[in-house]
Amino acid sequence: MKLSLAGVKVVRGDWSLSAEGVFEDGIHLVSGDTGSGKSTLALMLAGQLPPASGAIEREGIESALITFQFPEFHITGPDLEGECRTWDLDPTPVLKDTNLAGKKTLHPLDLSRGELKRLILACVIAKNHDLLVLDEPFSSLDSREKERFCATVSGRKTGITIIFTHERVHFPRVSRIWEIQEGVLHDRGRLPVALSQWNRAPAVIKKLIARGRTPENFSQADLLEAACRT
Amino acid sequence: MQDIRLRAGAAALLSLAAFTSVTGAAVVFIWWLLFSRPVQVLGKLRIVIPALILVGFFGLVLELTGGGGISYSLRMTVSMTVIILIGAWVYTGYRQGDFLRLGTWLLGNKTGFDLGMVAETGMQSLDLMVSDLSRIQQAQELKGTSRGIRSLVPAGSILIHGALRRAEETAELMAVRGYSCGGSYCPVFNTTVRDLVAGSAAICMGIIAFVPVSEFFILYH
Repeated sequence: MKLSLAGVKVVRGDWSLSAEGVFEDGIHLVSGDTGSGKSTLALMLAGQLPPASGAIEREGIESALITFQFPEFHITGPDLEGECRTWDLDPTPVLKDTNLAGKKTLHPLDLSRGELKRLILACVIAKNHDLLVLDEPFSSLDSREKERFCATVSGRKTGITIIFTHERVHFPRVSRIWEIQEGVLHDRGRLPVALSQWNRAPAVIKKLIARGRTPENFSQADLLEAACRT
Repeated sequence: MQDIRLRAGAAALLSLAAFTSVTGAAVVFIWWLLFSRPVQVLGKLRIVIPALILVGFFGLVLELTGGGGISYSLRMTVSMTVIILIGAWVYTGYRQGDFLRLGTWLLGNKTGFDLGMVAETGMQSLDLMVSDLSRIQQAQELKGTSRGIRSLVPAGSILIHGALRRAEETAELMAVRGYSCGGSYCPVFNTTVRDLVAGSAAICMGIIAFVPVSEFFILYH
């Protein structure tokens, strides 16, 4: 599977975003400051927003899905069970996995935003689309849920997963890092080489690299391994 | 129209004129075509088109369920359609601060300021609801939910829930910052020649709508 961007550009007044590159199978992390254009690029990659110029081509991608920062936008079911069914999923395992089985008769909007996010992300991951674009998947989740989500998304062995985030602490194991800076999408390359190219890398990663302990990846386990390396 | 005083006054007068009779609705529609830049209005606010379809639908339902007869249903449908078009014109011409300026100019720094601020937050909320609706439609499309009445119910409840949540958060923030009532604001208005022409035309349309045609012309019986 391949998602190619050739000369893609979007312009809004003084603001613009240019993107070029190829997303292949694996988990990609796209980082960037707030307002840098992450959500706009996410929409374009998911085929929901046409670029002003350039082309986005899909090869071997049969199905695509995007999740938005606010999970409310995805709701169409009358209760949690109904919501799972609208995703064509069996509610029992999904609600059990998300610790929401006791609230199955509640309307999704009666959940806290964190709980709702957990449910929507679980449904989305379970659908196993070829292309999965996750816009700020960590927002509203607590640390434990962020780690749980990282473990779940790391388990996605097939397809292209693109995570857009400004998260600084919790990450899954990723294949490639991308960075939006000054209106341009930069490909920082594959891990672990990409870590030294990553301008917005969290301080802990920069310190580990400075001490000659470049982690293999940047999940919590990888960082711990690098920090404790002798 | 850049001057909110003229825009709000014209909108009130034209809405009333459109509601009064089919003749009123017709002359107001002509005014809308001439002064509202209709292509821009419909281009910016595409949601107007489904709203117009909905008005037509309810007009038909009213007729089929034995409402007030064909003429009544037709009049209501035409009037409501034109009123929606006037509303769309007001909405698309809105610039941040318009209603705060109008409120304080009209009713002063206490009641006027409060009402203006309520209208401002309402308009901002409406803006957010429009962008939220676009995201909801995208999410529903990706989920395979077909567009129609069944998709409107969850979308509507999400929009209302979101608007209420934002209103509550805004109210809490304002209370925390010490807001109780009123404020101080010196409104400045920009009145163009086009504003004056459109405003005068709106008054003419209002007169035509409210005063019988026979008052102007000698009609042969």
